[in-house]
Amino acid sequence: MRAIGTAAVAAQVVLVTAGAPLLAGTMRQVRARLEGRAGPGVGQPWRDLRKLLRKEAITPVGTGPAFRLAPLLLVSTTAVVAALVPLASTTTPVSGKADLILVVALLALGTVALALAGLDTGTAFGGMGASRGMTVAALVEPTILLAAVALSIPAGSTNLATIVGDGVRDPVRLASPAGLLATAALAVAVLAETGRLPVDNPSTHLELTMVHEAMVLEYAGPDLALVELGAQMRLAVLLGLLTSLAAPWGIATTASPAALALALVLLTAKVALLGTALAAAEVFWAKLRLFRVPELLAGSFLLALLAVTASYFLTGE
Amino acid sequence: MNDSVYTQLLDLACGAFLLAAVVVLWLRQLSSIIRVFALQGAVLAALAALLGVREGRWDLLAVAVGIGLLRAGALPHIVRRALAAGTPPPARHYEEDNSEAREARPLVNVAASLIGAALLTLLAYAVARPLVELDPTPATRALPVGLAVVLIGFFTLVTRRRALAQVVGFLLLDNGITATAFLAASGVPLIVELGVSFDVLLAVLVLQILTTRMRAAFGGTGIDDLRELRD
Amino acid sequence: MTHATTALLLTAPVAVPLAASAAHAAGGLRELRPHRRAAHALPRHSAGPVHRPPSPRAPAEPAQVTGPATGGPATGSAAAGPATGSGGPGVGPGGPATLTGGPRTEPPGPPPLGPDDPAAAPPPATGPHAPARTTGAWLGLVSPATILFCGAALATTVPQRGPVTAYGRLLRADALTVWLLLAVGAVAALACAANPAHLAHERADAGTARRYNLLIHAFLAAMSAAVLAANLGVLWIAIEATTIVTAFLVGHRRTRASVEAAWKYVVICSAGIGLAFLGTVLLYYAARQAGIPEASALDWATLATHADHFDPAVTRLAMSLIVLGFGTKAGLAPLHAWLPDAHSQAPAPVSALMSGVLLSVAFAGLLRYKTVADAALGAGFTRTLLAGAALLTLALAALLLLVQRDYKRMLAYSSMEHMSLIALGTAIGTPLAVSAALLHIAGHGLVKTVAFCASGHILRIRRTARIGRVRGLLAEAPALGVGFGLAVVALLGLPPFSLFASELGLARAGFAAHHSGVAAVALLFVLVSFAALVSRTARMVLGPPPEPEAVADGPVRLGVVAAAPLVTGLVAAAALGVTTGPLTRLLSAAGEIVGRH
Repeated sequence: MRAIGTAAVAAQVVLVTAGAPLLAGTMRQVRARLEGRAGPGVGQPWRDLRKLLRKEAITPVGTGPAFRLAPLLLVSTTAVVAALVPLASTTTPVSGKADLILVVALLALGTVALALAGLDTGTAFGGMGASRGMTVAALVEPTILLAAVALSIPAGSTNLATIVGDGVRDPVRLASPAGLLATAALAVAVLAETGRLPVDNPSTHLELTMVHEAMVLEYAGPDLALVELGAQMRLAVLLGLLTSLAAPWGIATTASPAALALALVLLTAKVALLGTALAAAEVFWAKLRLFRVPELLAGSFLLALLAVTASYFLTGE
Repeated sequence: MNDSVYTQLLDLACGAFLLAAVVVLWLRQLSSIIRVFALQGAVLAALAALLGVREGRWDLLAVAVGIGLLRAGALPHIVRRALAAGTPPPARHYEEDNSEAREARPLVNVAASLIGAALLTLLAYAVARPLVELDPTPATRALPVGLAVVLIGFFTLVTRRRALAQVVGFLLLDNGITATAFLAASGVPLIVELGVSFDVLLAVLVLQILTTRMRAAFGGTGIDDLRELRD
Repeated sequence: MTHATTALLLTAPVAVPLAASAAHAAGGLRELRPHRRAAHALPRHSAGPVHRPPSPRAPAEPAQVTGPATGGPATGSAAAGPATGSGGPGVGPGGPATLTGGPRTEPPGPPPLGPDDPAAAPPPATGPHAPARTTGAWLGLVSPATILFCGAALATTVPQRGPVTAYGRLLRADALTVWLLLAVGAVAALACAANPAHLAHERADAGTARRYNLLIHAFLAAMSAAVLAANLGVLWIAIEATTIVTAFLVGHRRTRASVEAAWKYVVICSAGIGLAFLGTVLLYYAARQAGIPEASALDWATLATHADHFDPAVTRLAMSLIVLGFGTKAGLAPLHAWLPDAHSQAPAPVSALMSGVLLSVAFAGLLRYKTVADAALGAGFTRTLLAGAALLTLALAALLLLVQRDYKRMLAYSSMEHMSLIALGTAIGTPLAVSAALLHIAGHGLVKTVAFCASGHILRIRRTARIGRVRGLLAEAPALGVGFGLAVVALLGLPPFSLFASELGLARAGFAAHHSGVAAVALLFVLVSFAALVSRTARMVLGPPPEPEAVADGPVRLGVVAAAPLVTGLVAAAALGVTTGPLTRLLSAAGEIVGRH
């Protein structure tokens, strides 16, 4: 029983860590195919990581511990989140700790560490990227928290395992206005948090537009590998969380190995599908101008707020 | 139709209704705004039909059809025609971004007005407390949605600087009132409903003609140009 | 009074203006399609578009009453035109070499109303015997005369025998209705008498004149419907209809300023009145929850008697929205911004109608709701709302009068001042105060009509609406100067005009009901506007004319036709100020309906 729970946690972390580069590779490949290019193949991110990890660690002159620690912090917080969040099973030893607010805080910790690292380099790009990244983060965090509140009201708890478990038992609740609005708000927030289009373009190095890339411009070698891995893991975890909240079917609510195996397969399939859809959509999207980003985020904030009010008043007691 | 399905559908319709109002506030392109407004009209008709089926009143279904025709068909059509009259087709593809078809500079910027809409929604919930407490049913619980749309419509009317955006604001206000009537008491008596719909139709026609005249007199439909009369 | 007579008296004030409006529309149709005359037109004429009560002869008639103005009746009167009408342009009956004697184009042919409906159409010039040239000019008076006549006929019975209804409580007349009907009729008669002169000097072509007349009559029909409606929903519809109809009257001239005024007018009034409808819906909800069936849950009489079962919180919310909404249309703050613009841009007779009675009709709608709300909540809540809105309006009007440079806007702000006095009267709420407010409605309507009509003539002579550019009116056009001056004197509330009596009554009622604070503040603002009006009008009326050569060939004469409405209005207002005569009983009965001791 407990062993299976532990196995589930381990499986989640391993799957996220190993699968995140593959997810990124899949998305790039889909995009390449839709744009009429051959594409480097699904495994390319892994090959990049391997190449970077073999290189010598170099840090810019004058940088301090903030710069060195940020990649580690980013990867480790994301790994902890991957362990906490009920991606494949709701009955794990740590599921009692899987509070939505804690998860948001852990993700924010990684973002802040990266922003500090950007400032630490003292270059123009680092500072600019950090400032932009913090602006976006400041707008995204309230949205995520509000959406979390909206989702937690019907379940009566901010524990993710409880919320997801409720969703599995009572699928009607997912289609309620509150559930739909909160999911939409979370989706926008996830796009912003992971630096995808239309908020940020992950594949640009144009100084006018980059946000995430500007912060990590000074990294090289193994540090860069960790930063890349961290970013990919965040995308994987957040997409996984989104599927768990919006389409929780197949998540193991009991501690049986068969259910766990099925849940892991389904999780892979769902996240891959969502990633593919996102990549396909990104082909058609243009990046928003930076001063239009707050509009998008204010909109998602509004959606989250409407979700809260709706869950309180529409069907509420 | 059992209770939970009815409640679910009702809540969905109300959610979509409110969402459409918010999206109107979010968008700038007037043609998209009108499309969303038409969608809202359709949702309103669906809401009326749902109540009609629930109460087994077939006259409500007829009213729902009428509402759908008026608010998802005729009114958006009139506004769209007024818009098309003012925006000649672009000569080159890149020229389509002319100021007539867009709400370029609202009095309150879009991000702030979205936050404003959030506050207005909360206000509507606060104001509607006594209404819900009088007779708590699934329909009256959704009354704040109607009031919120009224407030958002008023907000649009006050802050938007294009004549047609103001018209849409007025229509949002009116949609909100109709929704309130349906949620509170399954609609006002038929003769009143007919008269009100007729009045709204005429008012929009009048506003359409006035837009044409405004274009002739001012060369555009910006409300900010209206500054001949002041003390 | 038989049922049929009652129904006729209640229907005619709406139906006759509608039919007149339809006749003008039909004139347009005929011009578009000149060959559309059929031999079978005459039999149809004999069936006639005239609206009668349900009777064996015309059982289907009431359905037409509520039809659109250009609907059924239009065909009938289009066909009727050639049978009775003279056609072609007629010349107005103005005095020789005066301002009003210009050529005048009329829609050919009178609507076939008078001959078929002797009871409702007393004016002398509608019959086929009248000379063709005057027929057109006096045609416009049919509708106001009908309204006045029906009001007078009802005034003889209603105060004694109580309210009457028709069409299953769709229309209803009590003392308040009758009083307002009389006010609407009187003001409309003055304004319609001024119409021909106005159109002649606008040099309006036939189409414009026809559109103008069509809208004026539809406007009168909508106002009568608002006054007569027994159902609060129908009342709302009629009030919103006045907005729609008057939009093009305000934007009649199509200049930048008038298009702007029309836009603001429609947008602000429609939105404001929309809020009032939301309030009505909430009231309906409260009524349904109190157990009133759907059919009568908007019926005013039912609501007023059962209102004590209404949920107070819901009624309070509804009433706030209603005061805001109908206050918009009645020119009360905070949504008053349309009023000065619309009143300054509309043609003078339209301004007169809007300022003189439209504001009051909207306010009377508010009075209906007030009785319901008072029964549910006690008088305190509505009183606070009304007194707050009224004092705010009064302060705004007084301050803006002080800085005013346009005399039509000056008159508009003066209307806001008087509307807030009326609102204060109803806020006080004793029968004496309400009677005084109702008297104020009538007196203000008459006098403001005179003032606006005179201002129209001033605008024509001086071609400017700036107060600073108008001097020495008395020297340049003595009759006009006297008329305008006396109208302003009446507006100031000086005896012998009725506004003196009503303002005195309002002040007395205010102090008697222990609202001395409010009354004192109101008096202060009234004094401020008094000073502003006096200084501006004195500058306009007195002194030497600015261009001596303008009066070289003698002062400008006003002409009988143009002067008649001014004189009549002033005399009526003065008479009303001396004594209300046979109307005293009606007025006190109307005051009892709204007022509470």
